[in-house]
Amino acid sequence: MKMTGIIFSNVYDTSLGDLTMKRTVASLPFGGRYRLVDFVLSNMVNSGISSIGLITKYNYQSLMDHLGSGAEWDLSRKNANFYILPPFASGVTNVYRGNLEALSNAVQFLQSIKPDYVVMCDTTVICNINYKKALAAHVASGADVTVIASRDLRAYESVDSDLVLTKDESGKATDLAIGQDLGDDSLVGMGMFIVERKFLLSIINNYVSRGRYSFEKDFLLSRFADDSVNVNVYEFKGPVLRNHSILSYFKNNFRIMDEAIREDIFTTKAPIYTKVRDEAPAYYAESSSVSDSLVADGCVIKGKLENTVVFRDVTVDEGAKIKNAIIMQGTTIGRGAKIENAIIDKNVTISAGATLVGGSSSPIIVHKGDTI
Amino acid sequence: MIRGKSKECIAMLLAGGQGSRLKVLTEATAKPAVPFGGKYRIIDFPLSNCVNSGIDTVGIMTQYQPLELNDYIGTGSPWGLDRNFGGVHILPPYAQSGKSEWYKGTANAIYQNINFVDRYEPEYVLVLSGDHIYKMDYDKMLRYHKEKGAECTIAVLDVPLEEASRFGIMNTNDDDSIYEFEEKPKQPKSTKASMGVYLFDWKILKQYLIDDEADPNSSNDFGKNIIPNLLADGKKLFAYQFDGYWKDVGTLQSLWEANMDLLDPSVPIELKDKDYKIYARNYAEPPSLITKSAEINNSFIAEGCTIKGSVKNSVISTGCKIAEDAIVINSVIMPDVEIKSGAVVKYAIIGQESVVGMNAKVGEIPTDGASAKEDICVVGKNTIIAAGDVVGQ
Repeated sequence: MKMTGIIFSNVYDTSLGDLTMKRTVASLPFGGRYRLVDFVLSNMVNSGISSIGLITKYNYQSLMDHLGSGAEWDLSRKNANFYILPPFASGVTNVYRGNLEALSNAVQFLQSIKPDYVVMCDTTVICNINYKKALAAHVASGADVTVIASRDLRAYESVDSDLVLTKDESGKATDLAIGQDLGDDSLVGMGMFIVERKFLLSIINNYVSRGRYSFEKDFLLSRFADDSVNVNVYEFKGPVLRNHSILSYFKNNFRIMDEAIREDIFTTKAPIYTKVRDEAPAYYAESSSVSDSLVADGCVIKGKLENTVVFRDVTVDEGAKIKNAIIMQGTTIGRGAKIENAIIDKNVTISAGATLVGGSSSPIIVHKGDTI
Repeated sequence: MIRGKSKECIAMLLAGGQGSRLKVLTEATAKPAVPFGGKYRIIDFPLSNCVNSGIDTVGIMTQYQPLELNDYIGTGSPWGLDRNFGGVHILPPYAQSGKSEWYKGTANAIYQNINFVDRYEPEYVLVLSGDHIYKMDYDKMLRYHKEKGAECTIAVLDVPLEEASRFGIMNTNDDDSIYEFEEKPKQPKSTKASMGVYLFDWKILKQYLIDDEADPNSSNDFGKNIIPNLLADGKKLFAYQFDGYWKDVGTLQSLWEANMDLLDPSVPIELKDKDYKIYARNYAEPPSLITKSAEINNSFIAEGCTIKGSVKNSVISTGCKIAEDAIVINSVIMPDVEIKSGAVVKYAIIGQESVVGMNAKVGEIPTDGASAKEDICVVGKNTIIAAGDVVGQ
């Protein structure tokens, strides 16, 4: 049984606001050295999937730069099929009206490959999942569609577009709704679905041509309502971090410091791969003071860090104090600067003595390349 | 020759030595594959130097415990040496018609690979070794070699006169031409120490390798045979002065010292240099987690570590775990080591994948500072120090 992977890189672009002004959600930096796409891509590779199509629409330069030939994910092989699928031609820079419309971009890819099954994923949900097991469950269930869902609502904020389900013991979906609570027993979809490839092609063909673009709403929900689709629910029991808003993204960066979550998501059995940058190990000076923080390679830490995620190649000068912050790659924090509750994007320069304090649920965002 | 293509200069890296002075660290690993500086192996330095100098063809001659090194080098992609023409090649000794033998000496290792070198028809061959830490632009040396019209150029480093008798010393004329080579002279006439970096005109080196092989009394060594023979025949040998940091890490003490040098701002070896990166094979490790109880001073910490204890003046490599109340002082911790709570590690090197048990004590602060480097305590690869054990005190 072979499976192909489809990744949607632009879904939720609008809900992450400033952070995705010049990049896709998929290329949003996360966790000190990753981009969101690394998690789903690594999960697919670790599940033995070697034909992957990544659908993108606009703002995809940073994504292409990050992925390159796919060598870091071991996808740059003659017998692997890794394709980035931009639109054929489109001067329009609006989001896809739904994932089925996005998939219409991948029809040729889906027709050209051999695997019988397709796993489709967003990039916003972070977890370490083995799709092989989910596929085995899908095939055993005989269902038309498997929805991968979880009861882990630690990092959950209800979003209008969430798929909420209940299931019976066999895994068969018993109720299905979008953006609506179905009680304590419900699971929330993780934006991951398994379907047969030929069936998916027929759905794309039938729905997009009739102006219906959402896989969940137009296909799944309406077909479920008239009992003409058999839906299986695969419950994923590991930690799940959903990045559907700036706040949840902000909080999730700190959640991966929780040792149980860290051990699960970054298990050495199924590593999360990312682009290699050949930085030196991080240097901690005599004057540094670091607690509850993640620090990546290439950093020089002379100041104070508390509950902070520091990406590669960041310099924190003496006397600088940083608390509850995400500092992205290549940023420099000047002497004596004070930063609290902030997301500092890539290649920012914070001048000596500057103060930036946001609210704990409304972090300040400093844009890529800015000087403050 | 391969389809009319050729290379101007290729590098031949001698990586076959056992490195017996590194004792427990090289029992199952070739010396060039010994970890260094948190995320590197020693061989990353000459390999990165090659790449940064525009040399894209490197032959690595191995024969002692090569598995880990072979695995590490792989296709050469971490250094950009996975090339369609050229790239990195692992060269173990191989059976040839008539006779098969191990590499008998440094010169013999290259002699046995004359066919490999000839495939690239190079004008120049750079001979390197896999046990030095330094950053050097070989292209400058090549330009110097051409300017001087040299047939062999040897990179030299100015060493203090009192230390000169530990090195191979080049005695030179005013124009930097070499008139004499003395291995570890008791009464050094010069302070120009050989760095083990040789650049040859291939035609000349090839002839001398063939002649040397024919001499049954030769020990087939560059320092003992090839260089003296070239000098005796009046060939044009020049010394190329190198001013940067260079360290032979062939002993446990010097390996420890070189790691400590990284932490000393007055020592000119900078790993964080965008224009001159040292490349290494990367394993997918998350950023290091530093908890509330951790205390870190003047140290390098690579990725994938969880630090809860106290780390001072140390180099902590990829994937290490240092528990609460553990103390690490002036030490080199190699990859994937676990130091459990209450353990104290001082002035030590802990080999890969070892475990220092709870409350164990490894090494101690030398009683007088001057003898610090003589007192390094070393724990080999994959060793378990049981809880409460005391080692090296």
